[in-house]
Amino acid sequence: MNVARRFGARLVQRLGCRWLATEATASPKSAAGAASGSGAVGKLSDLLPPLRVAVTGAAGQIGYQLVTRIASGEMLGKNQPIHLSCIETPQGMKALRGVVMELEDCAFPLLKSVSATDQVDKGFADADFAILVGAKPRGPGMERRDLLASNAQIFAEQGRALNKVASREVRVLVVGNPANTNALVAAANAPDIWAEQITAMSRLDQNRAITQLALKMHCDVAEVERVIIWGNHSTTQYPDLSHALVRGEWIRPRIDEDWYRNEFIPRIQKRGAEVIEARGASSAASAANGAIDHMRDLWLGAGNKWLSMSVPSDGSYGIDACLWYSVPCLCPGAHFRRILELPVDEFSASMMERTRKELIEERDAVRHLLPRDYERIISMSNPLARSQQPKQSASIPVADSASNDTQASMKAVGSGKRK
Amino acid sequence: MESLARLTPLYPDRALIVAVTGAAGQIAYSLLPLLASGTVFGPQQRIKLQLLDVPAAESVLKGVCCELEDGAYPLLDHPVLYTSVADEAFAGADIVVLLGSFPRKPGMERKDLLAKNGTIFRDQGQALNRVAKADAHVIVVGNPANTNAWTLSQFCTKIPKEHITALARLDHNRLKSLVARKLDSAVSDVHNVIIWGNHSATQYPDVTYAYTPQIVQGKMRAALGGDSQLASEVIPLIQKRGAEVLALRKLSSAMSAAKAIGDHLRDWMFGTQTENEIVSMIVPSDGSYGIDKGLMFAFPVQCHRGGKYRIVSDLRIDDFSRKYIETTLAELRSEREEAMRLVSKMC
Repeated sequence: MNVARRFGARLVQRLGCRWLATEATASPKSAAGAASGSGAVGKLSDLLPPLRVAVTGAAGQIGYQLVTRIASGEMLGKNQPIHLSCIETPQGMKALRGVVMELEDCAFPLLKSVSATDQVDKGFADADFAILVGAKPRGPGMERRDLLASNAQIFAEQGRALNKVASREVRVLVVGNPANTNALVAAANAPDIWAEQITAMSRLDQNRAITQLALKMHCDVAEVERVIIWGNHSTTQYPDLSHALVRGEWIRPRIDEDWYRNEFIPRIQKRGAEVIEARGASSAASAANGAIDHMRDLWLGAGNKWLSMSVPSDGSYGIDACLWYSVPCLCPGAHFRRILELPVDEFSASMMERTRKELIEERDAVRHLLPRDYERIISMSNPLARSQQPKQSASIPVADSASNDTQASMKAVGSGKRK
Repeated sequence: MESLARLTPLYPDRALIVAVTGAAGQIAYSLLPLLASGTVFGPQQRIKLQLLDVPAAESVLKGVCCELEDGAYPLLDHPVLYTSVADEAFAGADIVVLLGSFPRKPGMERKDLLAKNGTIFRDQGQALNRVAKADAHVIVVGNPANTNAWTLSQFCTKIPKEHITALARLDHNRLKSLVARKLDSAVSDVHNVIIWGNHSATQYPDVTYAYTPQIVQGKMRAALGGDSQLASEVIPLIQKRGAEVLALRKLSSAMSAAKAIGDHLRDWMFGTQTENEIVSMIVPSDGSYGIDKGLMFAFPVQCHRGGKYRIVSDLRIDDFSRKYIETTLAELRSEREEAMRLVSKMC
C-alpha cells in the first residue's frame, strides 16, 4: 500500500493547517500550551474545514463532561469546527436528548451540528474521531471474565462499524474499561483500519502521577516531565518515575524509595477507588479531562513532552504483539511515536512484567470472541508491515520540525524490535 | 469573531482567587474543570480555587479536590482549599461564584424558600464583607438568584453594589441558540438577544433588537413569525427550557449552566467581544426602563475589561415587550418585599 498516497498528502495538508492554527492560537508564554481552552474562537478566516467527532456513552457521566469540552474547542483547537455525533444505548436515548438540548443551550460557536443515535453504523459514519466511552460496568456478583466477555461483544460490534463507515483516517480513543483489551477487540474487528489509529487512555493515570509528584516535590505541575505509565489501565499499571524530571533535573536519585514503592505507586494504582469512596461516584470529570488531553496532544502535537498512551505493541520492551500496552510516546501532530529503548531497571522490569501478564490473561479471556486470525489482521493492518523499513537508531528520538515529522513518524511506528 | 488577545491575564503576577460555594454539587462539577483549564480566565492566568459546601458534603468535596488534582491542570495552584466555613472560602477572593442555595423541597411554600435562602445569603454577605477583596466580583447562581443577590448586597457593604450580579446568561444563550436554529444560522452570527427580569418562569426573552447577517435589527420579530408566534412558542420555550431538560435527563442542566457562568465571568472581566455586542446579566437597576433603583433585574449590558459593565438604557420598549417586563417586575417587587421583611427581622 502506498503510504504516501494514503496518509501523506492529506496528513501534510492537515499538519500544515494545524500548525497554522496552533500558531494562531498559542500565546508565547502560555503555560498550558498551544491548545488550552480559552473560550475564544479563532478568526473566521482561520477556521478549518469541519471534522466529525463521535462519542459513545455520550449521556453517561464521562460523556456529559466530554461532549461539552469537545464542543467548546478544547480538544481539537479553537479554529476547528466540529460535527458531534452522540451515540448511546437504546435505554440511554432519552437522557441523550436532554444532553443534546444542553449542547444547543451552550451556544458553542464551533459546534456546527449535533446528532444522537443508538445505531453505531449511523453514529460512526465518516467519523474523523471516535471516543469510545460507553462500556458495560461491573454489576454485583459479576466475575472479571464476564465483564471482559460482555465488553468484547460491544467493542467487536463497534470495531466492525468503524471499519465499515468511519473515515479511513479515523483516530479512535478507547476510554471504556477494560480499555486496553477493548481496544484490542475493536482493532481485531477492523481490518481496514491501521491498528495504530486505535489507542486507549492511560493519560488519566499519568496526570494523577504528575500531580502527586508535584505535591511531593513542592513544584508546579508544569515543571514535572517524563512521568511514565506502563501497562494496563488497571491496578497493575506501573507509574514509573525512573526518568522523571523536575525543573529539567533528573530526580530519581532524590526520591525516597519507601514513599515511591509503598505510597506513590499504590496511590496512583488505586486512585480510581479512592475517588469513588469519597465522591460516591466514579471519577468522570478527571477521566473526561484525560481523554481531552490524550486526543488534543495526539492530534495537535505536544512538542517534546513524553505522553503515556496505550498503543498496540510493536514488540518493544518485550511486550507481546497485539497487546495494547501503555508506553511513553511523543506526539509530533496527528500521530504518536513510541519512545524506544529506554533503560529499564530490575524493579521496573518486574512491575512491567506483572501488568503484561494481566493483559495476557485478559486477552486470553476474550480470545474465543476474536476472529481466529486476529493476529494477522492486526499486524497486516499496518501498511508499513508489507515493506521492510530500516530499524530506528538507538537514541531516544526528539521531536523534529513539522516538515520532517511526517516521514520520520511513519518510519518510527513501523519499525522497532520484533521478537 | 473573537480576538484571543483580549484574554491576557487579569493578574499576570499572581493567582486569581476564585471562591465557589455549592462546590460539591452538579453545576460545580461541570464548572470547576472550566475554571482550572483556563477556559474562563484565559490560558495564562493562574487560578487558586477555594471551595465551600455544607459539612454533610465534606467527603464529596474531598473527592472533587482529588479529581482537580488528577486533572494536572498547569494553571491550578495546589492544594485546593475546601471547607464548610465561609470565612475560609472567601478569604481574599477576587471572584465569588455562589452556586449553593437551599433547594425547594416538596410541600415547601415560596416564602419558606425565600426565608431559608435569606439566612444563607445574609451569612455569606457578612462573610464577604469580612474577608473578600474590596473589589471582588460576585455572581449569584443559586435560586431565587435575583433576590438572593439582593439580600447578599444588603449585608455586603464593602463590595461595590455593581459588583454583585446574578446569572441570566443561560437563558440568553438558550435564546441565541433557538434563534439560530429557527433561522438556520450559525450561533455566532446571532447578536443582541436580550433577557429581561427575573431568572424564573416570568423572564422575558426578547428578540426585538437581535440581528444576524441576513436579518437586520428591527426585523427579527417578523422573521420569527411575528408577535403571536413569539408569545405562543418562542417565549414559553425559553421560559420552560430548564424543566424540559430536567424531564429528559432527570437531572438539572448543570453543563449548560456552567458554560453560561463561564461566559458571564469572561465577558464581565475581559469585556464583551465587540463594540456593540449586548449580553444579559442580572445587575442592580440604575432606574432605567422604570425598573426600581437597586432591584436586581436582568438587563442588556455591555462590558469593559476590568469587570465593568454598562446597562444599555436607550432601547425603545413597545407595548408587547412592556407587558412582559411589567409581569416579571411585579414578581421581583413582591420577592423583594418579602426579602425586606425577612432582612428587617434579621437586623
